[in-house]
Amino acid sequence: MPPNDFQPVLQAKGLTKRYGRRMALTDCTLTIPPGRVIGLVGPNGAGKSTLLQLACGLIAPTSGSLSVLGSPPASNAAHLARVGFVAQDTPVYASFTVADHLRMGARLNPSWDQALAERRIAQIGLNLAQKAGRLSGGQRAQLALTIAAAKRPELLIFDEPAAALDPLARNGFLHTLMEFVAELGASAVLSSHLLSDVERVCDYLIVLCDSRVQVVGDVPDLLASHHLVVAPRGELDRLPAEMDLIRIEHIDGYSRAIVRTTTPSEQIPWTVEPITLEELVLGYMTRAAGGPTAPVGATAGEGLR
Amino acid sequence: MIWMSWRQFRVQALVGLAGLALITVYLVYLGVDIRDAYDAYRTRCQSQVDCGPAMTQFRSDYENTLLFIAAGFTLICAIIGTFWGAPLVARELEAGTHRLVWNQSVTRRRWLLIKLMLIALASMIMVGTISGLLTWAAGPVDQVADDRFSALVFGARNVAPLGYAAFAVTLGAILGLLLRRTLPAMAVTFLAVIVVQFAVPNLIRPQFMPTEKLTMSMTAAAINQARSLGSITGAAVVNGLDVPDAWVTDTSELRTADGLPLSEEKFNECFNNPPKTGATGTFGDTAACLGQLNLHVDIAYQPNGRYWPFQWIETAMYLALTGLLLVFGRWQIQRRVS
Repeated sequence: MPPNDFQPVLQAKGLTKRYGRRMALTDCTLTIPPGRVIGLVGPNGAGKSTLLQLACGLIAPTSGSLSVLGSPPASNAAHLARVGFVAQDTPVYASFTVADHLRMGARLNPSWDQALAERRIAQIGLNLAQKAGRLSGGQRAQLALTIAAAKRPELLIFDEPAAALDPLARNGFLHTLMEFVAELGASAVLSSHLLSDVERVCDYLIVLCDSRVQVVGDVPDLLASHHLVVAPRGELDRLPAEMDLIRIEHIDGYSRAIVRTTTPSEQIPWTVEPITLEELVLGYMTRAAGGPTAPVGATAGEGLR
Repeated sequence: MIWMSWRQFRVQALVGLAGLALITVYLVYLGVDIRDAYDAYRTRCQSQVDCGPAMTQFRSDYENTLLFIAAGFTLICAIIGTFWGAPLVARELEAGTHRLVWNQSVTRRRWLLIKLMLIALASMIMVGTISGLLTWAAGPVDQVADDRFSALVFGARNVAPLGYAAFAVTLGAILGLLLRRTLPAMAVTFLAVIVVQFAVPNLIRPQFMPTEKLTMSMTAAAINQARSLGSITGAAVVNGLDVPDAWVTDTSELRTADGLPLSEEKFNECFNNPPKTGATGTFGDTAACLGQLNLHVDIAYQPNGRYWPFQWIETAMYLALTGLLLVFGRWQIQRRVS
């Protein structure tokens, strides 16, 4: 099936996953356009892993619907071939050699690209005869990434693949990841609790906290629509209607607020400072952690009381 | 997928093959030994009028060995289920590798189906080979003893074991899928297979076809044919009565002429203080005392002519159970996952 330029890679409506009484994902509604490298950020336990496992069909939702590349996740072999998944801790078969893993990929995936896999394994410097159980964490992650990518999927999903890696291995991993994404022309979703990783490779962002989606959008759009506003204390208590307050701090006589607005920064009546992605994400995380967990739309922020 | 299944099964298959080789060598040796002994007894009895004692001697020489092997055979099915079946899915869930393999372009249901079919086939070949060899090796003894319908021997001959093998590995795999941990799955599988192997011959197999009935009057001579008298609870029963050319599935308590059970008092009186008559036989004076009470027992049995229908019914029953487990497993693996 040729990739559809308009079809969303992921579309969720009211997606909810509950484990017993614990909500892992609450009423998640999302539409992610194709051709992006999507960063999924949030603190540990926010529901990132749940969302990604739902997306590759490893778990089924409690309620709501989810379609990935236009079909329910893992609905059939053809659909499985279009999605590559690298699970948390990058599992591989300890008793298999690296070559066995490539052979497994070749046997189980009709679209397998052996030349691509072999070239990558050589570039990483893995020995084909080595048992996967004896690989380092970084090498294992690279192997898992190669297996997921060599079936030439349209969408690559990574669940905290770099979490357990040292900075050097993480750097190498992210580098390989970006090369694969470029070579395959695939979309990719990458979850991480490290914002620096996401900032480096992603052009689209989902912030997930406390089992709810806080904000979603293209990174440049997000940076353009959020501002850091500084004003004398009290002046920010009443904001114009088209301005959503994400977070506010009071320092001495001044207030510093992160706001979301469509108003161009030059029309904002206070001092406007450029906002970094980190400040933006932290703003949403702080709000989710401190404020009441009122449902917030995927795109619409809600002011503090 | 077949390559993958084989690659993961390779080591277990080699261990199984080594075990099979040892068992084969032993059974061939036993078969040859039994045939030599059989020929020797036959030659000996040609010079005598009655062949009976020689054949009884021949039978008792090997009976215990063969019963021991039949019991061991039951264990082999349990072991195959434990070491081949139980880890099949549980090991993947435990190591997290299911998240790798289930994201290749093979659906989970197909993955389970092919893995299970390969392993069930391997176990059927293994158990079938052992069963075939054992059936051959024990041939002369079975012919003389004429009790191949009895519970333990029935399950260790001919085709029925093929069903046990397929069932044991499938049960193991499905338990592994449900329990998600290898060691508990192995332990539960081992116990479950043994429980089933015990329950089926005693509770289900006798019901495959309606039993034939027979009333046997308990003369002193008939009582002396029994294996034992009485039970732990002190009930008035005789145990181990034989019906020629049949598998006895149920024997009633001792009954008096009017069909009522013999009272425990009377039974105990004959058992503990029988009048001294100097009678001989297994139970001596007790048999003589009971014999005078005009007692009988009602016996239910399956004629030996039903041996093959029973073999096929039992095989089919186990294969049907295997099929049901597979359907259940395919539903479960899609439903409760990761």
